Amino acid sequence: MSNPVHVPERSTTSRPAEAPLPAPPAAKPRSRRSDPADRGILSVFDRRRGRVRWIVRIAQTAVLFMLVVASLGPMLWLAKAAISTTQDTLRSPMAFWPSGLDWENLSTAWNQAEISRYFANTVWLAMGSWVVQLLVATTGGYVLSVLRPRYSPVVTGAVLATLFVPGVVVLVPLFLTVLDLPVFGVSLLNTYWAIWLPAGANAFNVLLVKRFMDNLPRDVFEAARVDGAGPFRLLWMVVLPMSRPILGVVSIFAVLNAWKDFLWPLIVLPEPTLQPLSVRLPTIRDTVELDVFLAALLISTLLPIAIFLVFQRLFLRNVSLGSAVKG
Amino acid sequence: MNATVRWVRGGGLSTLVLLIPLLLAFGYFAWFPIGRAVVMSFQETNLVDAPAWIGLDNFTKVLSDPLFWTSIRNTVYFTVLALIFGYPVPLALAVLMREFRRFTGLMSVLAYLPVVVPPVVAVLLWRFFYDASSTGVFNTVLGWFGLGPFPWIQDASMAMPSLVLQATWANAGATVIIYLAALTSVRTELYDAAEVDGAGVWRKVWHVTLPQLRNILLITLILQVIATFQVFTEPFLMTGGGPNNATTTILLQIYNYAFRFGDYGAATALSLLLALFLAVMSALYFRATRSWSTS
Amino acid sequence: MTSTRIRMGVAALVVTLGLAACGGDDSADDTKTDDDAGATDESNVDDEVTISVSNLPPATEEGDRQAFLARVDEFETAYPHITIEPSEYEWDVTTFAAQLAGGTLPTTFQFPFTDGGSLIARGQVADITDEVRQLPYADDVNPSVLEVAQDDTGSIFGVPIAAYGIGLHYNRELFAEAGLDPDQPPTTWDEVREYARTIAEETGQAGYAQMTQNNTGGWMLTTLTYSLGGRMQEGAGDDVTVTVDNPATARGLEMLKTMRWDDQSMGDNILFDWGTINQAFAAGQIGMYMGGSDVYNSLVTENNIDPDSYGLTVLPLNGADAGVLGGGTIVGVRPDASAAERAAAVAWIDFYYMAKLTDEDAAVADAQTLADSGAPVGTPALPVFDADQLARSDAWVADYVNVPLEQMRFFKDNILDQPLVPEPPVRGQELYAELDAVVQAVLTDKNADIAQLLANADANVTALVESN
Repeated sequence: MSNPVHVPERSTTSRPAEAPLPAPPAAKPRSRRSDPADRGILSVFDRRRGRVRWIVRIAQTAVLFMLVVASLGPMLWLAKAAISTTQDTLRSPMAFWPSGLDWENLSTAWNQAEISRYFANTVWLAMGSWVVQLLVATTGGYVLSVLRPRYSPVVTGAVLATLFVPGVVVLVPLFLTVLDLPVFGVSLLNTYWAIWLPAGANAFNVLLVKRFMDNLPRDVFEAARVDGAGPFRLLWMVVLPMSRPILGVVSIFAVLNAWKDFLWPLIVLPEPTLQPLSVRLPTIRDTVELDVFLAALLISTLLPIAIFLVFQRLFLRNVSLGSAVKG
Repeated sequence: MNATVRWVRGGGLSTLVLLIPLLLAFGYFAWFPIGRAVVMSFQETNLVDAPAWIGLDNFTKVLSDPLFWTSIRNTVYFTVLALIFGYPVPLALAVLMREFRRFTGLMSVLAYLPVVVPPVVAVLLWRFFYDASSTGVFNTVLGWFGLGPFPWIQDASMAMPSLVLQATWANAGATVIIYLAALTSVRTELYDAAEVDGAGVWRKVWHVTLPQLRNILLITLILQVIATFQVFTEPFLMTGGGPNNATTTILLQIYNYAFRFGDYGAATALSLLLALFLAVMSALYFRATRSWSTS
Repeated sequence: MTSTRIRMGVAALVVTLGLAACGGDDSADDTKTDDDAGATDESNVDDEVTISVSNLPPATEEGDRQAFLARVDEFETAYPHITIEPSEYEWDVTTFAAQLAGGTLPTTFQFPFTDGGSLIARGQVADITDEVRQLPYADDVNPSVLEVAQDDTGSIFGVPIAAYGIGLHYNRELFAEAGLDPDQPPTTWDEVREYARTIAEETGQAGYAQMTQNNTGGWMLTTLTYSLGGRMQEGAGDDVTVTVDNPATARGLEMLKTMRWDDQSMGDNILFDWGTINQAFAAGQIGMYMGGSDVYNSLVTENNIDPDSYGLTVLPLNGADAGVLGGGTIVGVRPDASAAERAAAVAWIDFYYMAKLTDEDAAVADAQTLADSGAPVGTPALPVFDADQLARSDAWVADYVNVPLEQMRFFKDNILDQPLVPEPPVRGQELYAELDAVVQAVLTDKNADIAQLLANADANVTALVESN
């Protein structure tokens, strides 16, 4: 869904409980060609009619063309501009190789503009957020779904409640909390903990994992208990292996969202050497030449796109979860 | 004593230990800040002096700020435009794609591609596309068709639509995929029934497809409204709220209060007002849509 | 004065303060100082003290960075008991308060003149009167410059290390391309307008541009107002009247309006802040713009400008009270610094920043390191002390100058004759933010009602100042 706000993803954007939550494992789209009973708005009979067939074909080509232009176009332009000279890009932005290639831009961006460093920062930041999110979501989901202590409804309710509070509410108080962590009395400012730890407070992850585990066969747990498995062994040996699909989903969106995050790292990482790409790019724009900057933009996009292309099935099947997890 | 021992033996302690990560994470970074937000909105917090209770001063300040109504107007404008651009297009696209027999996988990938582009990259790239001179990227392309040059974000009346256009580009793909998934569960025998009644394509869409997508459509609508009310990155990086405050949104105001002028109390007060508004709106919305379904 | 004298002066200062620290701390400091004061009770001159210092140049500016680190090493040799932790921290008004509260602010940090008043008023910077007064050149600092780092009672909260006046930067290549003589820069605002139109017509680039975003719009509108003889605030102390709605500002805006809409000489893109306008100027997209006289340094280190294309002249002044807006940099110390840290910090300020202004050996060494690393040397500045002293220190480093001084002579030769006017004293940043919108309105809306805009802005700023 359209969600142009990128308040830190742990933030608890109001998210009604009715949000789409496909039951695990996510349903595979049916293969339509092999299933003659399957039809859309157009019936099988309709499709055989020559006129309809042509209209569908034209519409198909038109939509494909439109998607290529709209989605791929800007990215292809960026790829071209990243290896063109500044003056070419400024004077004739739509020309095809006006005066040849300038591969230097990429290495200049990577080395001189230190994209390498901010790239590494971003990876590090994403990994930490991922670990924390997985830890909280699996242990929390496990306790609330499988162990179910007497107080679990209260905790579940409290977690659920945070879904209804828009992320914007906690922005400033969360910032002050990170500035002076109660009880510990330390400041997390300019440390990655300021991003990693709050990432764990993601209600959607917890509920997602809980919901998944709710649907696991309970007799398997009982059998393991009879065999003498304690809560930790049960989690490690039985529940986690069975939960792999949902953990994959949580992981991929955890990494991607850490990559996209802007406002929160901007606030808690004022030290330039620690900042991730998203925070650094606007500053870099003013300090390097345009061609190098566009190369930096390209490099910053490559990894998320690569992850997406590799895991596209997982993505597309779980988008409804993902955009919700994103908060 | 006995009870405690039994509790530990029965796994009560291990359970609690396993719950610690969740309790710490949510305690520190969700529950506590939410409570603190309420407290802070009645305090003066500037990080220099100890917080002092000042009653409703923060709310008075926020409400009497000349930019308050400007930011509300802009935010509502953004939300409405985002609905006009961003709501029907993904739906139409999904319904069309569902009818296609070829390239649907490729189309899904293409539609979703902009969603994985980091927002900062997308915004900075589009800001360059929006160059207002005749050699700007968009103006060059439109120039081929004899259009423009347009001022894009350099004009108070065009700035907001430009932001919405970019935001729609960046986000519509996710909605398309959600609708596509929902469309797979549409009961196709109803189409057969509709055809028996002599329904054409439009009537089938209107009377069969859309009603079955009703729930998902209602949910994406409210979620999109809630999300667009918190728009920040686009105006922050693209226009800085300009020109002449035409794109100053509520969240930008909150950011400016807190991080530009160091008034954390006013920032929290405005956040709370926004949250309260969103909560009331969502409640009314769900009540209204529920009564439709019962009637 | 010689470098040894200064060093000894500072060493003596460190001793005095190390001992004086037993007395505890002043009330200006916040509660955290209780611990610090306890820790410094036994401190004396030989005790190790570690301070962090700001503005280590980033690795993208390798030359400057090496020069900075070399100075750190020299300092640590001269003051063995002080350890310096260099930090890339750069002043940023949005993160300052948080960094201070979060404990990540360096012990010393630079900030612009603009923010001096509010920092002092909020107790966010340490009182270093005693330390500064012991510097041998303390009494020589230009009183009107030192004022920006003082409160009403004359206590000193920082050391002004550099001052600049706003100048008019122009692109000599675009001038030549448009058939204008790069050695005849405009001297009146009418000429600026005329030249801008010629440049726009002949080259297709913006003849004149002005910053409009993130408070720089207000900053530059204030500059324009001063140069036309107006002021944004009158009076001082608690008795400040807002005069945003004044004839000079209206005239300035009318001029911008004409240039933007009638002459069409300001280009199509008007959303600029400091970083983006420098970038666009260095890329040859702007004929003329107003900016601090020291901007050339960043144009070289950050934007790779072609030195041959660069020209700098003074702003045209028009009207009885016309003046040029001045600004500069102050170095201050964290408010919670212990006495030993404060002493060490002032020693660093003296060593790193002031020595190059007051001591020939240091100035030469500094210039040499900068020149060796390819960093600019010789960009025109305004005197922190007085004109004679500036001339002297310029002469010391004359051999190392690597900036096109000849192309900056119109500025250098005339700036000392222009009256310097400080920035609006009360709620300066909010005033600028308010004026951003006014400038943007005039430049993006053909039909903007200047009188109405100014009346509104005046009312809004007045409300802010009165709530002070």
